[in-house]
Amino acid sequence: MKIGVSLYSYQQSQFFRELTLEDQIREVGENLPGADGIEIVDEMSLRYPDPGEDFVRQWFGWMEKYGTIPVTMDVSFDVLQFRDHVMSYEEVTERLVRDMRLAKRLGFSNVRVLSTCPVEVMIAALPEAERLDLRLGKEVHQPMRLEGRQVQEIVEFAETTGTDRLGLVPDFGIFGFRPTEVLLDQYERRGAKAEASAASVELSARLREGRAPFDLDDVTNQTAGNLRVAYKAYIATGECEPGLAQPFTALKEFTETHVPEPGELDYVVVGEAIMQSNTSLDLMRELAGYVVSCHGKFNNMSEIPGKPGCFQDLAIDYEGAIDALKAGGFKGYVNTEYEGQRYSQDRTRAEMMDEVEQVRRHHEMLRRLIGIDVTGEVA
Amino acid sequence: MFDNYLIRSDSLRNDVIDGEVVGFSMAVRIANYRGVFLSLHTGYFLEIDGTDYPREVQSFEVNGKPPRGFDEIKTAINEHWDYDDEAFLHVRKPGGLLPGEHEIRFQQCVIAAYGYLPTDEEWVKSPPKTGTGAGSDKTPHIVTYHLTLNEAAEV
Repeated sequence: MKIGVSLYSYQQSQFFRELTLEDQIREVGENLPGADGIEIVDEMSLRYPDPGEDFVRQWFGWMEKYGTIPVTMDVSFDVLQFRDHVMSYEEVTERLVRDMRLAKRLGFSNVRVLSTCPVEVMIAALPEAERLDLRLGKEVHQPMRLEGRQVQEIVEFAETTGTDRLGLVPDFGIFGFRPTEVLLDQYERRGAKAEASAASVELSARLREGRAPFDLDDVTNQTAGNLRVAYKAYIATGECEPGLAQPFTALKEFTETHVPEPGELDYVVVGEAIMQSNTSLDLMRELAGYVVSCHGKFNNMSEIPGKPGCFQDLAIDYEGAIDALKAGGFKGYVNTEYEGQRYSQDRTRAEMMDEVEQVRRHHEMLRRLIGIDVTGEVA
Repeated sequence: MFDNYLIRSDSLRNDVIDGEVVGFSMAVRIANYRGVFLSLHTGYFLEIDGTDYPREVQSFEVNGKPPRGFDEIKTAINEHWDYDDEAFLHVRKPGGLLPGEHEIRFQQCVIAAYGYLPTDEEWVKSPPKTGTGAGSDKTPHIVTYHLTLNEAAEV
């Protein structure tokens, strides 16, 4: 297994103009021992949709100078772009194909599509992927899990056709088993009760052990953002789509028995427990051959008690996930994707998280769990 | 995201055309981790000292072009608002704002999304009402700023 960084991790430093794109690439190449992979979000890192020929030359110059390799480019699609109609699958495919050509121009080997990208679009783009020698990976992002139709349809297509051009980009958030402490802290700053945070962690533990009053199957086909919106609407109006009624009712009851006089925000905090995928590590091992690259998602690296200089994300099962990928024979890249910075962005810049330090800590963990030896390397 | 930094704190000023104060403006950034096609940007919830300034009196200056109303921005389907770039939100208000500090309640409406949503057809007909949190991207709550008016400047 190889390691790299999605420059998504440095979004806040870029927003505040503290790190340029070159600074970000230099950080990966020079300050992260054993790492050489670069992943970008096209609409974050580039002048989009055409960064220009001068940029392309500069890009390859940086790759050479800092010893880095373009691995995966993350692309999006916004179906209301044309404003007078909702994009058809053909139009989504056209956008994807244009983004794939951009990825090729910048030397990337893989393109990550959103978890919501229809498989029909990926299949329609397959001939272009072959022509460009690119692999397309669908992101598997919490609360979606490896179990279920979205993953199965890609695996079946790959098995039936024998192609290795379509695959998966697991986001390590799917190995999360409780809400991250930095999200709970942010909710408490906004007025949520400490009991709500405790109840959310408790309910997460029960869901993980199969002791919860409901099943998660109904929620795992939704994106986390959409699920939050639906749950908030349910709390306010008592209404939701039929499939969500059972988990939402149970969530509400759990909140009312664990939090004194719960407010709207307290319901939302307890609701974070159902955003956990609780995906199976065995299935990760079995599907390792379909993995294009991984998003090493994390929200907060804290020092492991009693182990100075060693770090963990206490809400995500990294050890289990890395072991499963290793056992399944995965040889590709795990690219760090730090996302916890957003949970301190209600504060002043001085109180926000340090992305550079968080990523360095994450790489300490990755090297340790994967077994990457850098003793001979001059950092 | 970036709650307290979506408006640059020293950017509030009155706009002057031919010596006359026609309104006011502020510098803004996108409430996301990426840029978007400009057409997806549908305007702002903007309440200053208790007065609402709807999208009909707003215009948007970006990519080195003169300010455009959101009806025109809607047609910019191939133009991109890049993540790095600051833009200016202009508001038509003859006489502008009074000197001193103002309370600004603010929410950006960008109908970018992760794929297809149940609201797609409805938002083709008309974009969501600003300030409701719908289509507000990564900052789904209204943020309050206290900003002091700077020297007026020619648009």
